Amino acid sequence: MTATAAAGKPPIVALEGVSKRFVKRLDVAMRVANMLGSHLREEVVRAVDTVDLAVDEGEVLGLVGESGCGKSTLGRIVAGVHAASGGRMLYRGQDVADLHGQQARDVQLKIQMIFQDPMSSLNPRLRVGDIIGEAPRVHGLVGRRALDGYVDEIMGHVGLDTTYKRRYPHQFSGGQRQRIAIARALAVKPEFLVCDEAVAALDVSIQAQVLNLFMRLREELGLTYLFISHDLGVVEHLSDRVMIMYLGRIVEQAPTEALFAAPNHPYTQALLAEIPRLVATRRTYTPVKGEIPTPLNPPPGCHFHPRCPHVLPRCRDEVPRLKAVAAGHWSACHLNDQA
Amino acid sequence: MAERILEVEGLRTHFFTKGGVIKAVDDVSFTLDRGQVLGLVGESGSGKSVTGFSIMGLVDPPGRVAGGRVLYRGTDLAGLREDAMRRIRGRRIAMIFQDPMMTLNPVLRIDTQMIETLQAHETIDMAEARRRARDALGQVGIPSPDQRLKAYPHQFSGGMRQRVAIAIALLHHPDLIIADEPTTALDVTIQGQILYEVQKLVREQGTALIWITHDLSVVAGLADDVAVMYAGRVVESGSVADVIDRPLHPYTRGLIDSVPSRNPRGRPLHQIRGMSPSPLKLPPGCAFRARCPRAAPQCQAMPGLDALLPGHSVRCFRPHLPEAAQ
Repeated sequence: MTATAAAGKPPIVALEGVSKRFVKRLDVAMRVANMLGSHLREEVVRAVDTVDLAVDEGEVLGLVGESGCGKSTLGRIVAGVHAASGGRMLYRGQDVADLHGQQARDVQLKIQMIFQDPMSSLNPRLRVGDIIGEAPRVHGLVGRRALDGYVDEIMGHVGLDTTYKRRYPHQFSGGQRQRIAIARALAVKPEFLVCDEAVAALDVSIQAQVLNLFMRLREELGLTYLFISHDLGVVEHLSDRVMIMYLGRIVEQAPTEALFAAPNHPYTQALLAEIPRLVATRRTYTPVKGEIPTPLNPPPGCHFHPRCPHVLPRCRDEVPRLKAVAAGHWSACHLNDQA
Repeated sequence: MAERILEVEGLRTHFFTKGGVIKAVDDVSFTLDRGQVLGLVGESGSGKSVTGFSIMGLVDPPGRVAGGRVLYRGTDLAGLREDAMRRIRGRRIAMIFQDPMMTLNPVLRIDTQMIETLQAHETIDMAEARRRARDALGQVGIPSPDQRLKAYPHQFSGGMRQRVAIAIALLHHPDLIIADEPTTALDVTIQGQILYEVQKLVREQGTALIWITHDLSVVAGLADDVAVMYAGRVVESGSVADVIDRPLHPYTRGLIDSVPSRNPRGRPLHQIRGMSPSPLKLPPGCAFRARCPRAAPQCQAMPGLDALLPGHSVRCFRPHLPEAAQ
């Protein structure tokens, strides 16, 4: 279906035509108003619109987009936080919806998520040792007696001093808190981490430390990542493959080097042109026109057409499909049919 | 010789808390000429924002300006009475904040707020004020400014709100704008748009600009000069080209080296070890000492900010001088 069809082995996580709609239902007052002749309708946001993706074992897939494009929702579907409203999710070739009981719980544990703000994802009333030790104890991964040593081991993995085990999250700096969040995710022995803007809130010098930690853990534990970020520099550094998302749809995906060397979609090109670069030349910023339209009422056809410098008549009503433009490089743009 | 707009000399802003004195800004000096863009760069807690607030006279207790001078065209703002300061603040020196919702009143229409701003400083009739407000919105690239004047802040997107805040800052054609991380909360494409507008306006109007940010790469494309702050002090300052291409201070160098695009893809990033010291317990001497790969016993004393190269100063005993480059 998508870019990677690795020899024989199914991808560790695959999404097939996954969508997520958020519906704002009518409340009683609105329903009464409708009975009296108003025309209020339910508001529907298509946060994720028929997305296919496949992540191979050991791969780092970067997911890039601006706020409101649906990248976090997609990450949450993969991590099992949100249920998809349409499509299938496969874990090692098995439809997750078919799994029940212990099997379903096992898959759930294998995919863990790390959020942007560790202060709101860590329980402020638990000590660090309990935050990390709770899940493996509850799920019976580690016996009560071995737990203490196990927590020490996990803390060591992420570079936390084990003497801080009895402290609370507020006693740590931002970077260390993110390490605690990573340790908590690792404690249930996951195979797959969804990192949602996991370094966005950190200072530059701390960001480098946490990115290095992600890379080290990947090597030591053979982890697979879905790395969600708006920061193209970070994604370029870390990912093997990158997907670009705009208003709920994937507009381009390619191996990292190919994407940054030869971006195909006009939106990707615009994004790459906007990255502030650490080069000491006064540059003239050449902005893309306009803003992301509201997902409540996205433009028809290609969602990017109102901002696109190369817009064609058919872009206004025909949705472009992802097509291969080179080996492993897919782009959803009508311009590619022209050549 | 360009006209000197601002001269900050040995500025100290301290916060007298129960836990002790926090020296948020400690002996900071820099100058700014007409039309000059200065990037003030540092991590959280480095004192970059407090420096901006101190110039504006907006430091709240328990903090206060404990020393130094802020000369605006020769007048010391630090010693100015509140009513005199009010005539300068917002009119001659304007500020833009990270969150435009902090600048804008959520229950007033944009035109009310802009006209109010104009009338606070000038005797001006409504029609003229409205015309100036509309022109200012147009200048920052807001489409159909006449209609948008009648909108409320919540009817704008984040990027548009920040444009309104910039338009308000520009209303009086100030000599100096202090921008505190105005694009940090915005998306890349919107950040690009705002940087474009700001760059254009500063060039057209000759406004001096202090751009406070944690992101060296934004400053790299925008500013003439950079001052890098660490733990309340300027550790390095100079032209953008000098500081970014030939950093002298180990901290600046570490920051630049840890940017992902400066590292080979997929390889471990260069990292600065440790973390910023607590502002309550700053070690004596150089505050970067504990994290510095070049630290030596002499660093237990505080180095001065010395111009080691023409126009390029550094606060370090063991800087990365060109001939000593590794």
